[in-house]
Amino acid sequence: MSEPEMDEMKKLLKEALPPVGESELRRDLWPAMLRHLDERTVRVPWWDWVLLAGVSLLMLFFPGVIPALLYHL
Amino acid sequence: MNRHPLLRAYLAGIAIPTVVLLVVMTGYTIIRYVYNIPVPIERVIVFPMAAVPNAWGLWNLLYVAFLEKRHVSLGLFGGVLPLLLAPGGYVVTRLLGFTVPDAVFHVAPFALPIGLVVYYLVWKYFVGFLNAELGIA
Repeated sequence: MSEPEMDEMKKLLKEALPPVGESELRRDLWPAMLRHLDERTVRVPWWDWVLLAGVSLLMLFFPGVIPALLYHL
Repeated sequence: MNRHPLLRAYLAGIAIPTVVLLVVMTGYTIIRYVYNIPVPIERVIVFPMAAVPNAWGLWNLLYVAFLEKRHVSLGLFGGVLPLLLAPGGYVVTRLLGFTVPDAVFHVAPFALPIGLVVYYLVWKYFVGFLNAELGIA
């Protein structure tokens, strides 16, 4: 390919691909990413802690329920 | 990631009981065959091995297909499952002629509420986590 042809090719390519307007982001995306990560953390309400504690205590006092529970799990 | 949501729901449902079953069966095998402790439940072991994981998978599939869009609580829906599994397990023992020890009936009044709460918590947090990870919740 000769030099004029190369120049013509460059010109055609520049015309075909519009220039990118803004190469910089309009805002910082990292805080939004952190918020998104925080949303994924599991929040356990107090009544679920109460249920878990109650079940654990019952299993402690009545260990015979554990095999029956495992049979159905 | 929106392809085959029901298949993913089924797989998310069976994951927890499958893992638990592996642990339980390992413990049972050691107790039964290494230490020779007589716990002859081989005849009825088919229920937790086959029926329970599939029931979990189908239960989660039903939830994703019909109830998730109506904002029904996954924990409460999963917590209802023992009300089907407990009678199902008992029917299997009767059909196979397995004599249920009296101790099981003595702990039944405590076992059922405990089972409901455990299922509620497991479904809410573990199955819910898997559903979220698989993009179906």
